[in-house]
Amino acid sequence: MTVTVTDAGPDATSSSRRAASRVAAVAYRYGLLGVLVVMLVVFSLLRPAFATYPNALIVLQSVAVVGIVALGVTVSMTTGGFDLSAGACVGAVVMVTALTMVRFNLTGATAVVAGLLTGLLVAAVNVLLTVVAKVPDLVATLGTLFLFQGLALIVTGGQSVAPGMTVDGAPAPGRYTEGFAWLGGGTIASVPVPVVVFALLAALVYVLLNHTRWGRALYAIGGNPEAARLAGIRVARYRALAYAVSGVCAAVAGILLSARLGRGDVGAGDPYLLQSVAAALIGFAVLGANRPNALGTVVGALFIGVMINGMTMLNAPYYAQTFVQGALLVGALVTSYTLRRIS
Amino acid sequence: MTFAVTSVSKVYGATRALSSITLELRPGEIVGLIGTNGAGKSTLIKILSGATAPTSGTLSYEGRPLAFAGPLDAQAAGVQTVHQNIDDGVVPGASVAENLTLDSPAGRGWFVTRARVRAAASSVAPGLALPLDAPVESLPASARQQIVIARALARRARLLILDEPTSTLSEVEATALAAQVKEAASQGVAVLYVSHRLSEIETLCDRVAVLRDGELVATFTAPLSREPIVTAMLGPLTAPPTTPPTAPPTAPPTAPPTAPPTATRGATPTAPPGAVAGVASFRDAPAGEGLAGGREVLVAEGVRAVARGRAFGLRVRAGAVLGVTGLVGAGKSELLEQLGGARPLLSGRLLLDGEPYRPKDPRAAIGRGVVFAPEERAAQAIVPGWSVRAHVTLPWLRRHSRSGLLTRRSETAAARHVIDLFGVRGPGHDAPIEALSGGNQQKVVLGRWLAGDPRLLVLDEPFRGVDVAARADIGRVVRDRARESAVVVATSDPQELRGLADRVLVLYEGSAVGELPIAEATPERLAALMSGTPPQRPAAPMSGTPPQRPAALMSGTPPDHLAAPASEHLPEPPHEGSA
Repeated sequence: MTVTVTDAGPDATSSSRRAASRVAAVAYRYGLLGVLVVMLVVFSLLRPAFATYPNALIVLQSVAVVGIVALGVTVSMTTGGFDLSAGACVGAVVMVTALTMVRFNLTGATAVVAGLLTGLLVAAVNVLLTVVAKVPDLVATLGTLFLFQGLALIVTGGQSVAPGMTVDGAPAPGRYTEGFAWLGGGTIASVPVPVVVFALLAALVYVLLNHTRWGRALYAIGGNPEAARLAGIRVARYRALAYAVSGVCAAVAGILLSARLGRGDVGAGDPYLLQSVAAALIGFAVLGANRPNALGTVVGALFIGVMINGMTMLNAPYYAQTFVQGALLVGALVTSYTLRRIS
Repeated sequence: MTFAVTSVSKVYGATRALSSITLELRPGEIVGLIGTNGAGKSTLIKILSGATAPTSGTLSYEGRPLAFAGPLDAQAAGVQTVHQNIDDGVVPGASVAENLTLDSPAGRGWFVTRARVRAAASSVAPGLALPLDAPVESLPASARQQIVIARALARRARLLILDEPTSTLSEVEATALAAQVKEAASQGVAVLYVSHRLSEIETLCDRVAVLRDGELVATFTAPLSREPIVTAMLGPLTAPPTTPPTAPPTAPPTAPPTAPPTATRGATPTAPPGAVAGVASFRDAPAGEGLAGGREVLVAEGVRAVARGRAFGLRVRAGAVLGVTGLVGAGKSELLEQLGGARPLLSGRLLLDGEPYRPKDPRAAIGRGVVFAPEERAAQAIVPGWSVRAHVTLPWLRRHSRSGLLTRRSETAAARHVIDLFGVRGPGHDAPIEALSGGNQQKVVLGRWLAGDPRLLVLDEPFRGVDVAARADIGRVVRDRARESAVVVATSDPQELRGLADRVLVLYEGSAVGELPIAEATPERLAALMSGTPPQRPAAPMSGTPPQRPAALMSGTPPDHLAAPASEHLPEPPHEGSA
């Protein structure tokens, strides 16, 4: 017996350390999902109206635009890049679609095309700066952010674009078409259109990143660009692809936002950059992925939506939301960077 | 006034990086330190500069023992180290004067003024003819190097360690550096000069210490000649190099080796051209077959390894392995990267199966059936966290896709194939590649290239950081593969080419200096070529030290008096200055 007692000393410490690392491993993989479930349960218990189908649709509706932008940012991150211009792109697309219909009296379909082209234009500038001019991604897309935020102000003379606004002394000729407005306010089998689009894009990006050779190449570049190049991957092309996907996602988000607002608000896209980056970064911590991934980004976006919705129902002041989002992001970052090392 | 290293050993885990090194560094003397990759040079420098402590043995200065808790201790004791990367030692954006005075920007006082900085800079480097107000990045590399060295000397250096100071310098710049080093030595500083460039060692050093596998195998005293130095660096080429007795069978059972693995190894100097004396373990066909048969897969005309090298040509036949060897910095990687499309062709032209071949990137090379496995596994081949399977299929993703989607089954099959072919040992294809040992990781990143049925395999240092058992596995598969493809293998250790290559191309400081059949690649010929000694001239006998008879060196292990801690046996350097 004495022998076992003396032996238990080191064994006990090492086994407790092992246990700690097991706990960290579980927290690393499932921690964030666990917190999300706890939040859902707590909100449901405190406010029965929270756990209803209409409210679920409200939550989804509220995260759809952020989620779509975040999916694009996620793709831009896979190659080791970072699209800071996504929010500005959303804003520019809102203005362009509004101008197309209100100022130039063109159809909703034209507005959609113009919006998508705007997204590709933003992507082209990003590619020119990062891939061709070899400016570091973070500062290059910061520059693009300012460029397109400013450009949206210039083309509209610094004013919001709303139906009936005065242009050169006369009322603007056009208005938002019904079809275009449907993109923001319509439903498909009771589900809001933006939510359907978000779901479709999420599935597409998931398949792209996890099940196609293009996704594999994107991740290879993010993991080790030189190894990717020597393995025969055209690095420049894939980095351009990543920004193109990001630009298109931001454009789609901008179109949906414009349709929902029914007008081109100056600065409408501004809040979307930080929220989408937060969603993508929170996604790193989901299921221990530790890299940008579509599923994690969707969870990250939902996380933010659920938290804001629940807090609003609990009558928490709106101005506390930013702080809570920050706390959430910090928690997720600690999960993905610190717990991984312990586990 | 002498720094003494006495019986210093360093053990990392199971690896013995240094075994019982004894070396004296005397004031005014420039001692060269030379050895191949992994010989222990860096470890010795780290110990001397206080970055790591020896496992056993002592350092002393004038008989007083030194114990360094860290680099600052070593600096306080007068040991100044200038590291290989020059730009680690200068602050970009600051002026020359500011860089010279980093240790005490304005002497005493609170405020830094330009005048005070200039005055301080002049006192740091009185003899340095550099524009003090110029931004440091506007200077050539050699001038930046001079600044770093001047600063090191100004810290009251007693021992100056220069770690490959010329690796990024041109030849002219290196000459300027040599003058500065000689000047320092004449002031009574002991200099330890680490370099791969033999010409510099030869002209600059009073004494040369040669490390091999963590042991001090020889020291030579000036006048120096390159050939014996290289012979000592490379070691006995006749020893069994690649196949340990415990290695798995080295050839498939259907094609037994024509010779037992070690019986015919060790070409003798008298072997006639084309003889099969060099045949060894990896071979399942006589060497002559590779030489005679097979179409010319790759013909290179007027190519260069590096811009300053001379142009040369080379030919690689199907069914043959061309070994490329040379010391570190000879331009092997640069040459292979051009063949593999990883860097643009410097000059000349390439023909692949008779067709012009000028790949603009690795992808273009792969498209033409040329695959290139780079030298640095971690930096150039491994994607952190990825599975073995994903590493195997990365170059061939299109093949594993069906209607745009990757098929797991096809990827798994490819990974299993590589695992079986090379005998990869580890937790399987789904595990992250980091879970494998270095040798098994190497099998994976080499093995993936065979999946493409390449016409030409270009392998840069395939045995780097690989244990002996894995070496045997890799050598066997490469040799087997060479029955269908042409293979180019670069290595700075010619032992690895024994039994693998049919011909050996030797590079020296960027130029091709010889190509010969493996049977003629005798230790002394390789040593002569690798050290840049003209082939006609027999090794010049060296005055001052008795042991330089080549016959003594080539016969296997170096004579005892070479392997012994040299400072006790060798005469003093020709000039005075020792205590």
